[in-house]
Amino acid sequence: MKKLLKLTTLAIALAAIAIRGQAQDTVKVGVLHSLSGTMAISETSLRDMLLFAFDQINAAGGIKVGDKMYKIEPVVVDGASNWPLFAEKAKELLEQDHVAVVFGCWTSVSRKSVLPVFEKDDGLLFYPVQFEGEEQSENVVYTAEAVNQQAIPAVDYLLAQGVKKFYLLGTDYVYPRTTNLILYKYLLAHGVSPEDIGGGFDKDDSGKVISAGKYVPFGYTDFQQIVADIKQFAAGGDACVINTINGDSNVPFFKEIVAAGLTPDECPIVSFSLAEDELRSIPTKNLVGELGCWSYFMSLKTPENKDFLAKWNAWLQTEDYPGVVKEHRVVDSPMELSYDGVYLWKEAVEKAGSFDVDAVRKVLDSGDISFDGPSGKITVQPNQYTTKNVYIGTTLANGQFEIIKQFPQVVGEPWMLKKLDTELAAQGK
Amino acid sequence: MKLVSKPLFWWLGVLLCLKVDAAPAPSSGVEGTNVVRQELAQAILSNGAEQQELLDKLADTGSTLASDVLDAWTMQEVYLYVAPDGSSVPVMLESQQDAEGRSRAIRIDDGQFLKDATGKELRFGESDLNPASTDMRLRRAIQHALDMLALSDPDPDARYAAVDKLGNSQNESYILLLQGRLAKEKNAQVKKGIKEAIATLQLGDTNPAVQMAAVKQLATLNSIGSLDNLNQLAANTNNSPQLAKAIQSAIGSINDHIWWVNFYGTIFHGISLGSVLLLVALGLAITFGLMGIINMAHGEMIAVGAYTTYVIQNIFGSGFGFNITLPFSIMGKPIAFGLNLPGLNATGWFYQSYFLFAIPLSFLTAALVGLLLERTIIQFLYRRPLESLLATWGVSLALQQIFRMVFGANNVQVNSPNWLLGHYTVDDVSFDYNRIFVIGFVILIVIGTWLLLAKTRLGLLIRAVMQNRSMASCMGVRTTRVNMLTFAFGSGLAGLAGAFLSQIGNVGPSMGQTYIVDSFMTVVVGGVGNIIGTVYSALGIGTADQVLQQLTGSPVTGKIVVLVCIILFLQWKPSGLFTIRSRSLD
Repeated sequence: MKKLLKLTTLAIALAAIAIRGQAQDTVKVGVLHSLSGTMAISETSLRDMLLFAFDQINAAGGIKVGDKMYKIEPVVVDGASNWPLFAEKAKELLEQDHVAVVFGCWTSVSRKSVLPVFEKDDGLLFYPVQFEGEEQSENVVYTAEAVNQQAIPAVDYLLAQGVKKFYLLGTDYVYPRTTNLILYKYLLAHGVSPEDIGGGFDKDDSGKVISAGKYVPFGYTDFQQIVADIKQFAAGGDACVINTINGDSNVPFFKEIVAAGLTPDECPIVSFSLAEDELRSIPTKNLVGELGCWSYFMSLKTPENKDFLAKWNAWLQTEDYPGVVKEHRVVDSPMELSYDGVYLWKEAVEKAGSFDVDAVRKVLDSGDISFDGPSGKITVQPNQYTTKNVYIGTTLANGQFEIIKQFPQVVGEPWMLKKLDTELAAQGK
Repeated sequence: MKLVSKPLFWWLGVLLCLKVDAAPAPSSGVEGTNVVRQELAQAILSNGAEQQELLDKLADTGSTLASDVLDAWTMQEVYLYVAPDGSSVPVMLESQQDAEGRSRAIRIDDGQFLKDATGKELRFGESDLNPASTDMRLRRAIQHALDMLALSDPDPDARYAAVDKLGNSQNESYILLLQGRLAKEKNAQVKKGIKEAIATLQLGDTNPAVQMAAVKQLATLNSIGSLDNLNQLAANTNNSPQLAKAIQSAIGSINDHIWWVNFYGTIFHGISLGSVLLLVALGLAITFGLMGIINMAHGEMIAVGAYTTYVIQNIFGSGFGFNITLPFSIMGKPIAFGLNLPGLNATGWFYQSYFLFAIPLSFLTAALVGLLLERTIIQFLYRRPLESLLATWGVSLALQQIFRMVFGANNVQVNSPNWLLGHYTVDDVSFDYNRIFVIGFVILIVIGTWLLLAKTRLGLLIRAVMQNRSMASCMGVRTTRVNMLTFAFGSGLAGLAGAFLSQIGNVGPSMGQTYIVDSFMTVVVGGVGNIIGTVYSALGIGTADQVLQQLTGSPVTGKIVVLVCIILFLQWKPSGLFTIRSRSLD
């Protein structure tokens, strides 16, 4: 009797193990964003879009590796707008959860905090938010807009429209300072003289310009002097403002601009950190006619975009993840690039036949991985930046953009400062 | 004969003079309007040089219809209807919509409603038609035509802006046009603008005598906008030495003028920043200064006022509603409650007056919240500053979370009423209307507060309670009631500050945190216990901040220097600018 009992238990246990072994195969994928703190307003939308992308892939069967279909199991962690915590959470994702890939980060400082972790543990990060370049790591795939995919096309457009004077203004941290320095060198190389570049310069001891433009801290609200300065700068006509202010400081800035009577036709302002998501909380009637430059606008009239938006809205109604807001949602470029990143990774994995980071990286660097997303075709370059379309739009009163110019398939370039220094040296400046 | 015809001739003469004085009459008669309509429709459909020619023609007509259509074109309100035969018809949509939100289309070429083959009027929703596209270059060309048309606009601001743009266009053919306009112009500001524009355009003349006269004129007018052109001219190597000297002296004189403009501008900015500081600090001066309560929730009172303004704006508009679901449930039932206020859908001047209603309501709402706070928490904490600090900090966190739940974590949009937009310019120094309004209102509030404290019975009681609470209580003063009213008054002032700050800055759940430190700083520097100290310290800190910002060129360095000076000042005078000397021990 006892022996029979033992044998039965053993049989049941073995059967259970066998059944478990035939359960659904899943792959763990990390999502590393700030879901609380000051960046939560921007980053929670990226988490929502990633969950949407994962659900779409799972509904279509999953990722095919070998002859098995793997469903994506998201592991969502909260960086809480705390940069050292980002590094800790990255470590947790790579070393404890053993995720195959991480989609995350928004601010450049969060990316720089997690970079050593990814390099040490040889993880893979897909980074979707416009940034200043000057970085190239084999552990990061930059689906984001590099400077030459956002700032430079906008400046080219303004130069072509006859603008001669550029006032540089931004928040005081690495992204605006680096971008403005790149733009300063770019403008010099294109014949704009330093007197026509406004905002002030910081020079080092040898007189070389190390920073160009006017910078304000995060959360700054008193723009009276700066707008008076801009007004004098623009008094002679043919001037524009390059605005890299981040966060809600944009609200008092634009209110002051409107109060001073500066219209977009007199002095256009091109903002690099304002997309449809941020425009939900800025009085947009102050912004009608101002410019934005991204690799995706929600108002793109392509069939892929229409289809994408329809599926996104349908998913929002039916999903039940905690914390996802259902009403008044818009889609902007960082969200769309997060979505593209997921599909690019899926394609690379399926081509490589494995989730192993080395194998996936090899396929990504071959230059063959591309995806026809809502913004058009996006291809991963051998240096792990991405080639994509770039659009310039003007703001409409409803917080959307009207697309006025398109630059198709712009190749992302990481090292603009060195390139421009060489160009300037060749010109003798 | 002569006696009869003299008054007749006189009247005819008057009529003729009137006609000459009036703005260039629009193409009179139906025929003229039709020609303008045809030209407009053609301009919309063509491109390149032909389009530019048509726009130039339209600019000469002086037609208000042309102004309206061209304006609509830049605002994406001109649409292209593709007829069944493939041709494009430019149309505009009428503002009236039917039940399904569709409106009839007005053809631009003949002013009639767009009809289909059977003669039925077609109706379109906004997204059914594609707007006639414009790029920046075309918008500039249209704006140019609008500027020419605006030269005769009834609004002097529009005329000034038009004149300014023509002056910067470097197109000498406008000189005659501007000189013609100068003869008819009555407004002094616009006249100055026209003279500047003419002189700027004459800088490009080949005749050196004309150039010399233009340079001298620009120096006399102190025209800041012409600096770029003067610098460009100075770089020209074949100027005569007199011309070169005249240019340098003109540039020098304009730069001096800019220095004075910045000087007065900085003083005005300093006063306006000081008035904002005073606004946020006055309420705290009363609660902290007069009652000795460290109220860390003061910033949230400001936010209450700002959110009240937002709610009033929405009530005047399309309505306001919110819905809160608590994260826990009682007996399996989730707790949710919400509110839905219908909007008044006001338009025009009634809508623009919402701010005047918002001001007293912000005061009352914040006062009520302050009252509630005082009755429930503060009244137990009068002699315990550390506990009051901690408790009010907790309240501030709770209030911030309530704002997040009711209004959302994002900032909310509060639009300025149109009578607060714009600015007043005196000799190139511009004074924003909303800043002037804030300064004016702050003066009223300070006077009102002083009157309350110095001249009314309540003020007498407040001062008595402040000086010696127990003695006042012995004299029969109902100290609890006085405390309540004082705290409510201080909070109400914070609410007023919030209403004004919603016009200048952000409105979000954590907006209070931006102002709390500055408020305490202002009150402490001014001297705890009196209002006049707060006034002086607010104005002083505001002006010092702006002056230093102007001198150092960096917004942050200025603030740092001001803070260091405050620290040093407090070492020298720890009780602030104006101290209250009293014999009481506490």
